[in-house]
Amino acid sequence: MTHRTRYFLIGSALIVVLGVGTGLVALNGALPGLSATDDSELAYVPGDSTALAYADVRTIMSSEFRQKLRQVLPTGDEKDRIHQEIGVDLEHDIDVVVAGFTGSDPTNGSAVVLVRGRFNDARIETTAVQHGAKVEEYRGKRLLSWNHGAGGVEPTEGHAMAAGLSGPPVVAFLEPGLLALGPSASVRRAIDTAAAKTDITKNAELMKLVNEVRGGANAWVVGRFEEFTKSANLPDEVKAHLPAVQFLAVSAHVNGGLSGTILAQTRDDQAAQDLKAVVSGALAAGRLLAGQDQRATTVLNALQVGGTNKTVTLGFAVPSEVLDVLSDIARGQMHGAPERKQRPR
Amino acid sequence: MTNAPRSAPGFLYAALRVFDLSLGDMLWSRRTVFMALVVGMPVLIAFVARSLVALGAPIMQNTAMTGPLIFGLMIWAFFVRFSVPVLGVFYGTSLMADEVEDKTITYLFTRPIPRGAVLVGKYLAYLVCTVCVVLPAVVIIWLLIVPLKGSLGASVIDLAKDLGVLALGLAVYGAVFALIGAALKRPLLVGLIFVFGWETLAMVLPGNLKRFTVAYYLQGLVPHAMPSDSPLSLMQQIFQDTPGLAQSLISMAIIEVVCLWLAARTVARREYVLEQ
Repeated sequence: MTHRTRYFLIGSALIVVLGVGTGLVALNGALPGLSATDDSELAYVPGDSTALAYADVRTIMSSEFRQKLRQVLPTGDEKDRIHQEIGVDLEHDIDVVVAGFTGSDPTNGSAVVLVRGRFNDARIETTAVQHGAKVEEYRGKRLLSWNHGAGGVEPTEGHAMAAGLSGPPVVAFLEPGLLALGPSASVRRAIDTAAAKTDITKNAELMKLVNEVRGGANAWVVGRFEEFTKSANLPDEVKAHLPAVQFLAVSAHVNGGLSGTILAQTRDDQAAQDLKAVVSGALAAGRLLAGQDQRATTVLNALQVGGTNKTVTLGFAVPSEVLDVLSDIARGQMHGAPERKQRPR
Repeated sequence: MTNAPRSAPGFLYAALRVFDLSLGDMLWSRRTVFMALVVGMPVLIAFVARSLVALGAPIMQNTAMTGPLIFGLMIWAFFVRFSVPVLGVFYGTSLMADEVEDKTITYLFTRPIPRGAVLVGKYLAYLVCTVCVVLPAVVIIWLLIVPLKGSLGASVIDLAKDLGVLALGLAVYGAVFALIGAALKRPLLVGLIFVFGWETLAMVLPGNLKRFTVAYYLQGLVPHAMPSDSPLSLMQQIFQDTPGLAQSLISMAIIEVVCLWLAARTVARREYVLEQ
């Protein structure tokens, strides 16, 4: 073997080893910038959570998509009310929102929402106290508890249960710029979790999926499929016919438009193949039936089926042009309605 | 000084000696230029796409396509369906045909080594040569494309599977076409008809015909979704019947061993007549 040949073989092997090595390092999270989030908020999400959601609010709020959406959808007064009452501007002060769900068992706490941003803690506390909140401390963290309800009205157990809450609502100042919101039991459990270091990052099964979906997405939710079906109140007959899906994940990237992926992880390869075959077959049949219908073809072409052994993915996209069309329709309706009244028939 | 007769080398040693001799010739031949073109095209496309994104071109906006999805489509379109079978045809059919054409097969056959070892050694050289060109190209494409709205970490397992599948595909297609090259007079034409005629047709027809192709088992191992970029792909998806992992691996191993053994046997028994 000549030197030239030997060098070629070594160079070739080196490229493969370096490439795969880079991927493995990224897989272990050792390459900064390759993950969409850091894990500081996750330290407060209990390890036995069944679902986890994340939204990069700052990016989404400043996206072109959001600006166009705002033209289409009417804005509520709720945002302004919150801004006036507790001094939090939802659009500009919040960077990231993370939510952890610990299933439907209220004794475990149902959900905790962690909000990272720029907050005036003193103003929030003052305003909350004016609205009937009680200040207390739990493991060195300040908690605002609405134990007596707004205006001094005691919330009944029925109210809390109906709202799916395990205890009265609480806001906790966890760290500078990090708030926790949720039922009392959930927020206290979040504080316990951080102290005991038994957070969601120790849940390897869920985190594997989280690491898969969060690259490149600025909003995602990952959870056990049974939790989704429980909350969806599907009939038992439908549940029985659902394929053996263990986890479901939805990730979205919001920028000029909205694109994302729905990912289902099944119990075994066969279930994934069956599910993929159903989805692919439906899309292929849809394309054949769509024929010359340009709109149907565009919609179907925006859907891409993929997946590995136990996972099935469906990519989707809502281009900004769709919002332009919606915007035009909305404008047309707004301007068209009075004209129709005046127009004699 | 003694003149003790030297024993003939064993099959494996002989095959490795032929491999050592053939690898350099194969790697620095004109055929490698063709291979570089076939494999270099997707690398160039990936580089252009990445450069455009880096320069701010909005090619990844308003689309459901992510880097990993694009990478999956490239693996299907450029490698699984094209490069691997084509390289298998061009290299596999020429393993013995080149020696016959150049009239150098006599020199190999007059050496005290088993004839079958010549084919096996040249087959190993083909495998190393193609794997060393194709796999780095795939890794470069992966590094360029996957970070576009995707994560390297999340798709490294798929990359490892892709590399394994492509290496296996090159090995099996190479063995099949080595047999065709050893047994038939016009192996290149037969090989091209096999890849672009028989395999394409059998894969879209319902029934069990597809089980007599390599593509059926190879495509069953690809970790990415099959693209629906043509009517044939759509038909293939409708009649999709994907073999399991074990079935694919066992079937490909059987095809590989049987074809290589038959090819070596054919070379050992066939009488090559050199045209004057």
